[in-house]
Amino acid sequence: MGLDRKTLDMVLYGILLLGMFISLYLIFLYAPPAVNPTNNQPWYEQKIFYVHVSSAWTGFLAFLVVAVASIIFLKKESHLADVVAQVSAEIGVIFTTLTLISGPLWAKSFWGKYWDWSEPRLVTALILWFLYVGYLILRSSVGEDVRRARFAAVFGIIAFLDVPIVFLSVRWYRASHPPLLVFEPGGLDPQMKFAFFFTLFVFTVFYVVLLRNGIRIKLLSDKLNRLKEVI
Amino acid sequence: MGRTARVGFLRQVLYIVAKDFRAELRTKELFNSMFLFALLALVIFNFSFAGKMPVRILAGAMWVSFLFASVLGLNRSFVKEHEKGSIEGLLVIPCDRSVIYFGKLLGNLLFIFLVEIVSLPLISVFFSRNEILQKPLQLSGILVLGSLAISSVGTILSAITVNTRTRELLLPILLFPLVLPVLIGAVEVTAYIFQPKGTISQWIRLIAIYDIIFLLVPYLLFDYVVEE
Repeated sequence: MGLDRKTLDMVLYGILLLGMFISLYLIFLYAPPAVNPTNNQPWYEQKIFYVHVSSAWTGFLAFLVVAVASIIFLKKESHLADVVAQVSAEIGVIFTTLTLISGPLWAKSFWGKYWDWSEPRLVTALILWFLYVGYLILRSSVGEDVRRARFAAVFGIIAFLDVPIVFLSVRWYRASHPPLLVFEPGGLDPQMKFAFFFTLFVFTVFYVVLLRNGIRIKLLSDKLNRLKEVI
Repeated sequence: MGRTARVGFLRQVLYIVAKDFRAELRTKELFNSMFLFALLALVIFNFSFAGKMPVRILAGAMWVSFLFASVLGLNRSFVKEHEKGSIEGLLVIPCDRSVIYFGKLLGNLLFIFLVEIVSLPLISVFFSRNEILQKPLQLSGILVLGSLAISSVGTILSAITVNTRTRELLLPILLFPLVLPVLIGAVEVTAYIFQPKGTISQWIRLIAIYDIIFLLVPYLLFDYVVEE
């Protein structure tokens, strides 16, 4: 590895800062507005889709990292894995919260109402939010370090396995209870697709930056606590 | 050799169940509270819906009552062991740790199922629904499938939350989002048993798969939870 930590940080920050501006340009100026399928008018609210789906993806990625880090922790008892799981869960909850705010805003313009219980992705995001807020509460209510890490890891794995089943169940629930129009982003034109994937990339870089910083802060505060005990 | 070992395993599990049952028979406090809680919840549902409960709502009200009552039982499952310090005793038994998990799980499942079975005739009377008692086998089937999911996830979560500062407060917060898919499915199937409409085979499959996953995964992870 030719890059040391500081250089890598600078590179990531650079990509992130530049990427955010480019992404805004792509979303608002480059990509054409979608056509609203209900009235064939330009549909500017659809632009929230780029941010909404990207934050949903980032939240999901964060929880995947929690599950993987949890397995690594149980296998190797590595403190770092536990820290990664905690920080990633915190970031995941933030991005899922963003998903849960942006989703209903978009839904309002599409369905005319903020929430619909038969949209599996939205409901799954809500359940994810509950699961990982629960995960963080669990972490905060165990005093002892090793046990906290172990309990959190066990719950982190169980929670992640639950997610696909939740998704399926809401989909089947929709099948038996008449659905609203569902927006399938498959039919994006190439410019919209490019803007979307670029935004997705920027969000992912954002996640990596937040994760690296979160881990560093957590490790430093652990170190500080140890030093305090010595004094 | 492998066969005798498996028989031994089952017997060990049953010892734990028998121990919990004996302890419960002395006081009956757990069963009584769970049963009364389930009934009270149904009474409250009745007045919340002004007595007009279509089968779908009744099925939902039943499952919500059972789920809430289960939480009472699941919470006590390890709290007693910790209060009396008997968990140390359980942990030094020279057996696989999963014996404790399956023993506790089976005990919880039996308590929950018992509460459900005893509630059914009363529900049938209170809500004037004969159909509840007309298909006892199908109904028991879905009650076992659904309650198995609640107790398999609930048992390992209970073993975790008993060690936390917030204890009883935390269990439902962790449990409810996890068992949501099972609850949706169980309500759909129960409503179907009361009044056949549409198809439900996918729900039974979903709950069965859920049961298998969440018997296997907690079994693999339980060691880490009780390890000192």
